[in-house]
Amino acid sequence: MALPKRIIKETERLVADPAPGITAAPHDDNLRYFDVTIQGPDGSPFQNGVFRLELFLPEEYPMSPPKVRFLTKIYHPNIDKLGRICLDILKDKWSPALQIRTVLLSVQALLSAPNPDDPLATDVAKHYKENEKDAQRVSREWTEKYASA
Amino acid sequence: MAKVPRNFRLLEELEKGEKGIGDGSCSYGLEDGDDIMMSHWNGTIIGPGHTVHENRIYSLKITCGDHYPDQPPVVQFISRVNLPFVNQVDGRVDPTKLPVLSHWSRNSSIETVLVEIRREMASFNNRKLPQPPEGSTFL
Repeated sequence: MALPKRIIKETERLVADPAPGITAAPHDDNLRYFDVTIQGPDGSPFQNGVFRLELFLPEEYPMSPPKVRFLTKIYHPNIDKLGRICLDILKDKWSPALQIRTVLLSVQALLSAPNPDDPLATDVAKHYKENEKDAQRVSREWTEKYASA
Repeated sequence: MAKVPRNFRLLEELEKGEKGIGDGSCSYGLEDGDDIMMSHWNGTIIGPGHTVHENRIYSLKITCGDHYPDQPPVVQFISRVNLPFVNQVDGRVDPTKLPVLSHWSRNSSIETVLVEIRREMASFNNRKLPQPPEGSTFL
């Protein structure tokens, strides 16, 4: 199975020069399928957590965006119970100029900046809108319970 | 071709199932919306018309193991039904007796399994088989 040169290049760089707080390693038997970890950003309720994700580059990549999902449970208004992520660049705002690295950095940034006005997990978003402090407390609890390194 | 990994394949199936497939005669969804590994599914088949199954609603459990879709799912009827490929003690579908499972292909899906089972219900040999009382269950 020939892998496009662009994917090979991106993979080499991800492994050799990883973005801070992010790891991504391809599966041996499927080089389009990556195990990913993202550290919760400092100052966010996800601080000190290490979150596991999976990423897949579909056949059409880079004309279509990567598919990304959290495997670690997380209490966040833009991430649902199955780990699916609501992020514009993973959908209609995707551009082939973006890369795996930029996608993962955007996911990390989403942890610092939840957007309850464009929710995927409506119950979490409601909680964030009505009582942000209490919602952040739950996010911290879940981080400790499910994402401690 | 890129090989879609298990979890992303199941997410695609889930999204398709949530939108509703075909004429609604077969449907499926996750048993538990929290099941992050997406292993346990419920399926429903509405019995085909002009057969003994007409208007009956059959519930099934579908289990997608770690090696799905390289390997077929495990399928089990909850509703009692008399079909040659269904174990009459526990409702399990015998994978050797149902071609969609015995000749499993990565292109097959939960949907194709349900559609094929429904097709079998309407086959010449099965359409008139005597059936247990409507609404009875194996479990």
